[in-house]
Amino acid sequence: VTADATRRRAIGQILLLAAGFLVLVAISASSVIFVSKAREDSALVVHTVEVENQINAVLLEIRRAESATRGYLLTLGPEFLSEHSAAVATIIPSVEKLAQSTADNPVQVENAKKMRMAVENRLDQFAREMNFVKQNQPSGAVALVREAAAENSSGTIREAALAMRAEEERLFAARTVAADLSQRIASTVTIAGSALVIALAAISIFLVRRSAGARDSAEARLRDNNLHLEATVDERTTDLREANNEIQRFAYIVSHDLRSPLVNIMGFTSELEELRADIFRRIAALGRAVGTAPVPVLAGDAEPQLEGEDRQLSQDFSEALAFIKSSIAKMDRLITAILNLTREGRREFEPVRIDTSELIEAIVTTVAHQASEADAQIRIEPLPEIVSDRLALEQIFSNLIDNALKYLKPGVPGDITVRGRTKLGFAIFEVADNGRGIAPKDHQRIFDLFRRAGTQDKPGQGIGLAHVRALVRRLGGTMSVHSELNSGSTFTITLPIEWAASNRNRDT
Amino acid sequence: MSIPVTIIMIEDDEGHARLIERNIRRSGVNNDIVPFTNGTEAVNYLFGKDGSGLDHRGQALLILLDLNLPDMTGIDILRRVKENKYLKCAPVVVLTTTDDSQEIKRCYELGCNVYITKPVNYESFANAIRQLGLFFSVIQVPPAAP
Repeated sequence: VTADATRRRAIGQILLLAAGFLVLVAISASSVIFVSKAREDSALVVHTVEVENQINAVLLEIRRAESATRGYLLTLGPEFLSEHSAAVATIIPSVEKLAQSTADNPVQVENAKKMRMAVENRLDQFAREMNFVKQNQPSGAVALVREAAAENSSGTIREAALAMRAEEERLFAARTVAADLSQRIASTVTIAGSALVIALAAISIFLVRRSAGARDSAEARLRDNNLHLEATVDERTTDLREANNEIQRFAYIVSHDLRSPLVNIMGFTSELEELRADIFRRIAALGRAVGTAPVPVLAGDAEPQLEGEDRQLSQDFSEALAFIKSSIAKMDRLITAILNLTREGRREFEPVRIDTSELIEAIVTTVAHQASEADAQIRIEPLPEIVSDRLALEQIFSNLIDNALKYLKPGVPGDITVRGRTKLGFAIFEVADNGRGIAPKDHQRIFDLFRRAGTQDKPGQGIGLAHVRALVRRLGGTMSVHSELNSGSTFTITLPIEWAASNRNRDT
Repeated sequence: MSIPVTIIMIEDDEGHARLIERNIRRSGVNNDIVPFTNGTEAVNYLFGKDGSGLDHRGQALLILLDLNLPDMTGIDILRRVKENKYLKCAPVVVLTTTDDSQEIKRCYELGCNVYITKPVNYESFANAIRQLGLFFSVIQVPPAAP
């Protein structure tokens, strides 16, 4: 899976989510719009129904007034009169209300006007009829009733009412259709939107599952790689360990086998030395035998008296032997050093809890004499306890303290400090001095075997620091130096606080 | 010493052999020294053709043994000597360059009587051999089992 494809996929998913969100917003907005439209439509339908009711109410009241009039005409009962008055009183407000509620429709306004005129006309007739009745002229009233019937004023009212009702019915039908339509649209939009959202969700799920699959396979690959890596690391470690062991064996065998011829060289050189003494004694004796002077008998091994060329020869002989012997001695020291190093490399380390302060105090006690000779003081600050190999630690610190005492600045009282602290599971020790220091270019060199730095005015093989660093490494630590020429040195050793015999020396 | 002791010197380095012999002589030991420069010859001499060591019955032997031989290790010779019923009484002095503590321990376990590491410094070497010679001059060596 390339990074590009991953980015494209991520952008695609974001776009899908955004589209789904937009669709949801659109559905919600249109739902709100259509719901309010439907509410308006239903309100209009309700209004139509109310108008129809109102028309019926007006007609009913007119009928009521009519029948009350007729009742009164027939019986002259006062209850009919009051009935009539009540009916008449409600007619005009009802008609007004009707006119008001239909004021928005010009057709209805016209109808309402017609109706109002017819109603007023009829009410006028009612009033006159009632007056005739009240004046005890029923015949007049009857005539009027007939007249009214002839004029068909009630019919006119009914027609107007019918017209209005017809108009309202038309509106009712239209509004019902409109309301149905808007509801249908609303539901269609909702269904379509939901379908779209479901489709988008499905695509998203598909994409997510696909990337999850890709991730799983990538994880599996990573796991495989890790396993493979571990196997490779193990293999390499084994190889390195074998190589290291081989080198150790090699160094051991070489140094060991170099010793045998060295014994011969040294032995026969010593034999030669003795031969030389014999030879020159004889030469001296012969020389004197040739001369006339009486020979003074030399006792024992005393150096024979030689003269001229013989003397020169004897000196050359001695010089050659001295060079050979000093070289042998040097070679012997080097071989011994290598042997000791390889032997140290083969030693099993044993982790034990060590009171570092006590250990270093013991070392300081053993070098107290050297310290007082060098006019140096050694200060030990509080040190952390660690679990490590005791002998290795002793060698590390005694080498460092020895070095500090050995390379002090002439004429300056020495001041050596051993400090310690802990950090992240490691103990950090510092051995600092105010001695002659080490030039930065030699900081690496001083850790190499048989290499030394600075003025070579002190005896030594150049082994100490190489040995110390090898030990620190085997203890799972690191070592470094911080120093400037003439301003003292600080050696820093970082060791694990809890060192368990690691695989480093498992098979050495 | 009723029976003169023969010193068997098994040392592959002829120079060492010569130096050892010289220094032993200097300490006043005049016994016969039979030198061998490899393990096979020494084994043939010690155990004879049949490998029984019968030839040396009744002789007094002292074996000076180097561990690093070209054809076998001195430890094998030591083991065979100490397992042989005729030779097991013969003192064995291991004189070698190895100063490995494991090796030393092993030699003593196998029945070696003295283990000496050859010093490289010739003074010490000569001194060690002379003292060994003095030791030879006083040591009582039993004859091999009859």
